[in-house]
Amino acid sequence: MTTITQDRFAEAKAQFQQLFEKDVQQLNGQAEQPLHQLRLQAIQRLPDLNFPTRRDEDFKYTNFNRALNLSYQQGANVMIDSANIDAYRLNDIAPIQLVFINGEWNAALSKMDKLPEGLTITSIAEALQNDAYKAWIEAQYNKETEGNAAFTALNLAFAKDGVFVHVNKGVVIESSIQLLHLAIVDDQAMVISPQLFVQAETSAQVSFIETHDAAKGHQGAYLSNGIARFALDANAHVSHYRIQNDSQEAFKLTNIDIVQERDSVFRGYTIDLGGRIVRNNLGAEQTGVGADTNMFGVYLGKGDQHIDNQSFMDHASAHCTSNELYKGILTDKARGVFNGKVMVRKDAQKINAFQQNSSLVLSKTAIMDTKPQLEIYADDVRCSHGATIGQLDEDSVFYLRSRGLNDAAARALLQHAFILEVLENIDSEDLQDHIEGLIKAKFAE
Amino acid sequence: MLNIKDLQVSIEDKQILKGINLDIKPGEVHAIMGPNGSGKSTLANVLAGREEYEVTGGSVTFEGEDLLELEVDERARAGIFLAFQYPVEIPGVSTSNFLKSTVNAVRLERGQEELNAAQMLKYIREKLDMVGMDPKFLKRSLNEGFSGGEKKRNEMLQMALLEPKLAVLDETDSGLDIDALRIVADAVNKLRSENRSFVIVTHYQRLLNYIVPDYVHVLYNGRIVKSGDKSLSLQLEEKGYDWIKEEVAAIEG
Repeated sequence: MTTITQDRFAEAKAQFQQLFEKDVQQLNGQAEQPLHQLRLQAIQRLPDLNFPTRRDEDFKYTNFNRALNLSYQQGANVMIDSANIDAYRLNDIAPIQLVFINGEWNAALSKMDKLPEGLTITSIAEALQNDAYKAWIEAQYNKETEGNAAFTALNLAFAKDGVFVHVNKGVVIESSIQLLHLAIVDDQAMVISPQLFVQAETSAQVSFIETHDAAKGHQGAYLSNGIARFALDANAHVSHYRIQNDSQEAFKLTNIDIVQERDSVFRGYTIDLGGRIVRNNLGAEQTGVGADTNMFGVYLGKGDQHIDNQSFMDHASAHCTSNELYKGILTDKARGVFNGKVMVRKDAQKINAFQQNSSLVLSKTAIMDTKPQLEIYADDVRCSHGATIGQLDEDSVFYLRSRGLNDAAARALLQHAFILEVLENIDSEDLQDHIEGLIKAKFAE
Repeated sequence: MLNIKDLQVSIEDKQILKGINLDIKPGEVHAIMGPNGSGKSTLANVLAGREEYEVTGGSVTFEGEDLLELEVDERARAGIFLAFQYPVEIPGVSTSNFLKSTVNAVRLERGQEELNAAQMLKYIREKLDMVGMDPKFLKRSLNEGFSGGEKKRNEMLQMALLEPKLAVLDETDSGLDIDALRIVADAVNKLRSENRSFVIVTHYQRLLNYIVPDYVHVLYNGRIVKSGDKSLSLQLEEKGYDWIKEEVAAIEG
């Protein structure tokens, strides 16, 4: 006898399949291109994949499937006055700018003429035409992603304007590259599928700043379902900042995977200010000895916001180091989640792993769940982790107020001080100032 | 300037102050002495605006205004300064940024213009010189890792910067070596003026060798049981508090 289990996500999957077919009809002859074939394979996998539910351990605290209840259209460019983009440009920090409106790459608004020698920035569709890049990109499309397979398949199926970046051996890109994502969504909910694939060759150096904003006055709902993949060759140095200030109605899911060869250094920064339900999966695998991974996170939750950070640090080689520091502040009915997994494999001797998560929970109705998970199979390692959840120190508040600062100013100063420990790890002072400004604005809301 | 009438204060239903009367005029320095547990710190804390104390009776007016109705920060902006017995260490808040914010918060309240960066720097340097504090402390987090003496010096710096009308020093001298004690005394003496008053709460007479008070009050069991001039503090130094306790016992007997 065969048991037929009802797929509770059948309706959602059907919606995305229809949306995909509708999108294909507008392709005009691109259907034969390699990218389209990869997209097609991704959507064909969807029926067999499960969206995560709260019965899955990794989604115990986060019901991301609420994002599946909306009726979506494929995100697409809308007309926008160039002047309205300027507020989001980081001109002094990142002269190279790639602009995406609702996930669609807008070449006219982007600034990428005169790229430095040895830096390639192109669409994934175009990179697939190049034999040097094709195999790696295809491998990214076929990579198994545990737990998030359904959303990853959705990203791979719907992303048309993924970005491919390649930095040649020994090339150092001094200034940062901004990926400016702007959502302009009103009543019609949209699916936005950001993609960033990066290959840094031996001793190459490059820094990315992703900004994710909702345009002023456009606070509609959308599903932003992004992925990023980084491959660092020996001694490559890559920094990746993600400053997320999406609409209060946005469902935001991001899957980032990093693979690091020997002596490479990755620095990831996740700043979450906006969004309705935010889920970040950040996973780094150290395949070469002496690799160094840094994960920094800041989350500020207000109202009904829900911000969930999952990190997976996979120490697969000896003499590697990792450093994770996540700090957040939650108020109103906001909810925060941190789940930091550190795996030390059998042969990964002499590694040094540090992990710390601290949160301030400022109201009775705000909630923080934090869960460090260490799995250690090597015997000569140093792993330390800590998690704290607390409130502002009232003696400090009183002290500041006794010097004339009003209650709100005193508390803002202390909250800022709490977050500063993370922000001090930002390499560029200008960028740190910029982020501090955004955080102050959020406190002042 | 400050008028305390029959002030009664409890903490967790235990009465600590049982009717304090004190009148402080502009320019006066009042020392409040007394044995441990007499209510000295309670008085200082109530003046500063700590909320865990419950005022059950009496009144405190500052320049004619009901002081007890003001929040702690409103009191600070109105011109009351409390030097803490144990200044709080606040990691991540730079001393320099903190000083700038407080100076401008108080200036705005007084209808003065905010100081710009250059004016502020000049002003802070001037006061640093006055209290003999090394400018390198400005870059450090507020009181974090400061020695006891450095913390007190920082309190005196803030007092100098905020130019209060009334400064309350709550056992600022406790645990200080003689050098640190001189810092506190010097700052108070330099800031003494005909418009500025001080309430100096102390357990030891030693500080009063350096700061000559106009009045000395002895607080015992929640009341001011004796007032006098500087000579009273010398008497206390010589004879301790037992004779006071005996006198009180005899009267209440």
